[in-house]
Amino acid sequence: MAQFDALFQPIQIGKLTIRNRIVSTAHAEVYATDGGMTTERYVKYYEEKAKGGIGLCICGGSSVVAIDSPQGWWKSVNLATDKIIPHFQNLADAMHKHGAKIMIQITHMGRRSRWDGENWPHLVSPSGIREPVHRATCKTIEPEEIQRIIGNYAQAARRAKEGGLDGVELSAVHQHLIDQFWSPRVNQRTDEWGGSFENRMRFGMEVLKAVRAEVGRDFVVGMRICGDEFHPDGLTHEDMKQIAKYYSDTGLLDFIGVVGSGCDTHNTLANVIPNMSYPPEPFLHLAAGIKEVVSVPVIHAQNIKDPNQAQRILEGGYVDLVGMTRAHIADPHFVNKIKLGQVDQIRQCVGANYCIDRQYQGLDVLCIQNAATSREHQGLPHIIEKSSGPKRKVVVVGGGPAGMEAARVAAERGHDVTLFEKKDALGGQISIAARAPQRDQMAGITRWYQLELARLKVDLRLGVGADAATILDVKPDVVVLAVGANPFLEQNPHWGAAEGLVVSSWDILEGKVAPGKNVLVYDTICEFSGMSVADYLADKGAKVEIVTDDIKPGVAIGGTTFPTYYRSLYPKEVIMTGDLMLEKVYREGDKLVAVLENEYTGAKEERVVDQIVVENGVRPDEALYYELKPGSRNKGQVNIEELFAMQPQTCLAEKGDGYLLFRIGDCVSQRNTHAAILDALRLCKDF
Amino acid sequence: MLDVVLPVLVLGALALALLGALRRIGLWRQGRPSPVSVLGGLAAMPRRYLVDLHDVVARDKVFANTHVATGGGFVAAAVLLILVHGFQLESRVLSWALIAASVVMFAGALRVAARRRNPPVRLSRGPWMRLPKSLFAFASGVFLVTLPTAGVVPASFGGWALAGVLTLVVAWGIAEMFLGMTWGGPMKHAFAGALHLAFHRRPERFGGGRSTGLKPLDLGNPEAPLGVGKPADFTWNQLLGFDACVQCGRCEAMCPAFAAGQPLNPKKLIQDMVVGMAGGTDAAYAGSPYPGKPVGEHGGDAHSAIVLRGGHEGGRALVDAETLWSCTTCRACVEECPMMIEHVDAIVDMRRHLTMEHGNTPNKGREVLENLATTDNPGGFDPASRMNWAADLDLPLMSARGSADVLLWMGDGAFDMRNQRTLRALVKILRAAKVDFAVLGNEELDSGDVARRLGDEATFQALAARNAATLAKYRFREIVTCDPHSFHVLKNEYGAFGASYTVSHHSTFISSLMEKGRLALGEWTGGRVTYHDPCYLGRYNGEYEAPRKALKGIGIKVVDMERSGFRSRCCGGGGGAPITDIPGKRRIPDMRMEEINATKADVVAVGCPQCTAMLEGVVGPRPEVLDIAELVAAQLVAAPAAAQRAKKDVAEEVAA
Repeated sequence: MAQFDALFQPIQIGKLTIRNRIVSTAHAEVYATDGGMTTERYVKYYEEKAKGGIGLCICGGSSVVAIDSPQGWWKSVNLATDKIIPHFQNLADAMHKHGAKIMIQITHMGRRSRWDGENWPHLVSPSGIREPVHRATCKTIEPEEIQRIIGNYAQAARRAKEGGLDGVELSAVHQHLIDQFWSPRVNQRTDEWGGSFENRMRFGMEVLKAVRAEVGRDFVVGMRICGDEFHPDGLTHEDMKQIAKYYSDTGLLDFIGVVGSGCDTHNTLANVIPNMSYPPEPFLHLAAGIKEVVSVPVIHAQNIKDPNQAQRILEGGYVDLVGMTRAHIADPHFVNKIKLGQVDQIRQCVGANYCIDRQYQGLDVLCIQNAATSREHQGLPHIIEKSSGPKRKVVVVGGGPAGMEAARVAAERGHDVTLFEKKDALGGQISIAARAPQRDQMAGITRWYQLELARLKVDLRLGVGADAATILDVKPDVVVLAVGANPFLEQNPHWGAAEGLVVSSWDILEGKVAPGKNVLVYDTICEFSGMSVADYLADKGAKVEIVTDDIKPGVAIGGTTFPTYYRSLYPKEVIMTGDLMLEKVYREGDKLVAVLENEYTGAKEERVVDQIVVENGVRPDEALYYELKPGSRNKGQVNIEELFAMQPQTCLAEKGDGYLLFRIGDCVSQRNTHAAILDALRLCKDF
Repeated sequence: MLDVVLPVLVLGALALALLGALRRIGLWRQGRPSPVSVLGGLAAMPRRYLVDLHDVVARDKVFANTHVATGGGFVAAAVLLILVHGFQLESRVLSWALIAASVVMFAGALRVAARRRNPPVRLSRGPWMRLPKSLFAFASGVFLVTLPTAGVVPASFGGWALAGVLTLVVAWGIAEMFLGMTWGGPMKHAFAGALHLAFHRRPERFGGGRSTGLKPLDLGNPEAPLGVGKPADFTWNQLLGFDACVQCGRCEAMCPAFAAGQPLNPKKLIQDMVVGMAGGTDAAYAGSPYPGKPVGEHGGDAHSAIVLRGGHEGGRALVDAETLWSCTTCRACVEECPMMIEHVDAIVDMRRHLTMEHGNTPNKGREVLENLATTDNPGGFDPASRMNWAADLDLPLMSARGSADVLLWMGDGAFDMRNQRTLRALVKILRAAKVDFAVLGNEELDSGDVARRLGDEATFQALAARNAATLAKYRFREIVTCDPHSFHVLKNEYGAFGASYTVSHHSTFISSLMEKGRLALGEWTGGRVTYHDPCYLGRYNGEYEAPRKALKGIGIKVVDMERSGFRSRCCGGGGGAPITDIPGKRRIPDMRMEEINATKADVVAVGCPQCTAMLEGVVGPRPEVLDIAELVAAQLVAAPAAAQRAKKDVAEEVAA
């Protein structure tokens, strides 16, 4: 038997044949513009997965069926209008052309939304109980509204069918309206829509019947449910098995998708899209439990990222199809690379959750490591074509994300690429980030680049801190500076960085400075770095207080990741304090005293500790740039109009002696990994 | 005195040679019957010799001329010698003709001698080393004894002493040339070779024809042995064929297994069969041995087992099993043999015995045969998964359609992820050309190729019968397949069971689509491309042009390897060789890849799933291996900007 044969067994879902077992499950893309339409960006994003060989995409996480379920916040797909039909036809054609199938998740979100925008609706829910994640208050739904919404579901399904899609998935997961009715925690009704099991099931059942009546037998209708809400008063796994069987036994369903965990609290939400702190497929057992009691194919996603893992899961018969959604955000050509025997070339999701954390902020889903994802419509390529122009000698300085991507892309273009990195290993700040507890998988980004740069025969000069002479010695046609930045401790001279009173989070994470026993972490950034260093110190046994002048430590970290930091920090008794600014540091005996000032009252307080770690972001390393700038043909300038339009830099086409100079990533200004990689890709794709 | 001695000598030698011939014929007649047309064969023989055989010999121009002079001179001289000196016909004209013939022969012998001074390794030594001297003896002796007859010198010239010496010289020549011909010696090839040509088991091969399909076993006849277990199980004309061998070693020089250091040398195998037929050991064999097997340890007779069961554990018979299982059935030996000996037939005959009588198919062989018995495919895949590769293609099924212009025969590559890319590319091309085609779907079974080459004739015949019954249900104009093994079997081996079809290899079909202008194609802009001729397409079926034409159709100028066309070297994947997996010093595909690398190609175009698998199994650095269908599909202009596609995208597109 072949290594991945279980992945490539076609399967019937209803009357539909799916070519393989790999699915991109429903997720909110935040790309449906023009009032929730699947416009060009949306179509191209999915088409890339179809081109890449995927079997089935279920698009449009939380796509709404009714106008009182707002879509604008997350630019989800709007199935409440016939205007969607031609857009669906574009989507369906694009997918079918490449042999993939396409379905859409449809839902009414009930109370799990925001009312303060768009049509300013009164949100509805079975018993009017507030939803904490969105801080959403709501009204108690009336039977007339229930009937209307059942009809909305049926009409939405009709629109999907008329648009040529292959099926719909009813969302009864994430505490949307259907499973709000299921859960006694939020359904306290005493009428026919609440109370007994059958009554709580009624709304979902009526929706299912109405949808099936509308679309007939030849159109796929599935349902996505949770495997266990993980709330003390929520639906248990046994409850969910009962529910799954109840719906499956109607014979009206064609498949069931299972997600482990409920998600109407910050803490459970983090389970739903497990980040890198989770083990592989942490909730497979829940999906397998559901599969035991139903007679339709079961789909399960959640931390399935590797082809071997997927093969093992399918071979074991736990579920029938594997959702590899983030895996495809990181690499839409995942399936083809398996088929081509290029498993080593798969850019594997590392679980940084940049994608989903942006979504929960209402921002478009992007991949931390693949800047081409969802920018296909702008012409950013997943497969870099060889240049038909002149072969260039490209020198990249710096082996962080910007530099690694620049070297990869330039080498794929067919150029002769040399990469200088002053450290002995690639990775840059990724390597530092990966040193923290639960953050080690960040290094997966570097691992892929290492393999790719080796495959592409990039001349790696590690341990070489290139100066201008070293660079010019190679006689480059193009120099890309990606030398990064350094911790910025000098912003406030009273911190005493020059006297060694404070150290940087890099010093700690890189092991240059041993962890103290009693440590104050001062974090102005409030993202991963401060939390990571606090976690690292606590892990080494230090007593840690992390203080910020912002609202709360970690406040800028997305919704699926701050909970996992908290889960790690609270048990280690790390104190998290907001609203205090570090005014100055002084030494008293063998202790350090930190003077803190309250942001709002001006009141001062002091901490006596033996180590102070300051996380104040980074300052670009500009020296080399200004040394090389005068001698460069383009004076180091990037034409941003061309760059933003994804067009080639005009200077590349101009003839002349000497070198072109570009700088990208944090050596220009501090941003993030995705930004660094995007800089490199959009600039170098036209080399 | 010479006029007394010579007739006795010549006629006596003729009589002894005749006795030898009868004995030789007796040896051949130990074999099983094989009906031939005696008169027809003898009548056809001169043409077969002068045209068909000479075409093969003439691949070595210098030696062909040498042989014309030596052999032609000898035949003329021998006939005239019998007339002039045997029957004492007094004719100056004949005598002068005899002198002229001996001079021509002498000239040829000079070249033979020159070649023997430092002979290439493929040539056998031993008695063959004295042959030039014997030729000189015959030619010069005949020349000198004929001078008086021609009146150049007086009859008494030189006196008794000289006459005595000349008699001895002539006797030496005659002994080698006349007695050696039938009693055994280098000249045996002339006698056996002539009759072998007359009674060849594949007369279709003469006159430009081709006959490469294996001959079926009559499984219904309980008397017939299942294959060849002992030399006497060969048919008499096969035994005769073995005797025709000149030990020139052209087969040895071409055999991929020999080159890889596997224990096979086709020349030695044929000589072993001769040893077996006559009884004795191989000790006198003076050519290259089977790699790793010293000469002198094997022997047998016509009625003893050729292969000792469990022979590798100690005892030896005529040939070890691993010698037989080393063959890739590539036919390079047969193609190269100037005597048109059928090595592959003999090997498969002996394999049949090992597999069907003893179940002794080595390594994965038994597993593969069991898979075929239980799943109808060698890989043992779920037979219902044959169409998995096309789950998203909506391929028309014959069972639904009943008829189509083209029946696309998928082959067992349908189960293989790599070959699925080729199949998908082919479907793309058929669709682009709007070809009306359908597939058998799960009704298709393995063609039986591997079973047959592994000697399992019963499984082959069962698969053939069932496939033929399925095919008989549907109407189609031709079968198209990207698998040369299926192609060969359907085209050349099903016929014996009453099932005959028009079958095209996909390269042939694609190049005809191109000729008809049915494909809009861009131009290849990738790097250098070489082409590897698959044995079962090339040597087995003579199709060397269509693949090159198809590649030319997308602007590829093939850079041919040194061994290409009819001299292409096998990838190592034929004949079940990867399954029986007999170890050697090197792997055949590695050697082939070296030849590919020597062309500095960026891509090696292939036309066979087996070749693809073998060549892709070679560790890099090596060129990319792409099927002709993949290369052509990537140039279909329906895909925008196809012409600019970089070569890596070819694979991407096809996988999709």
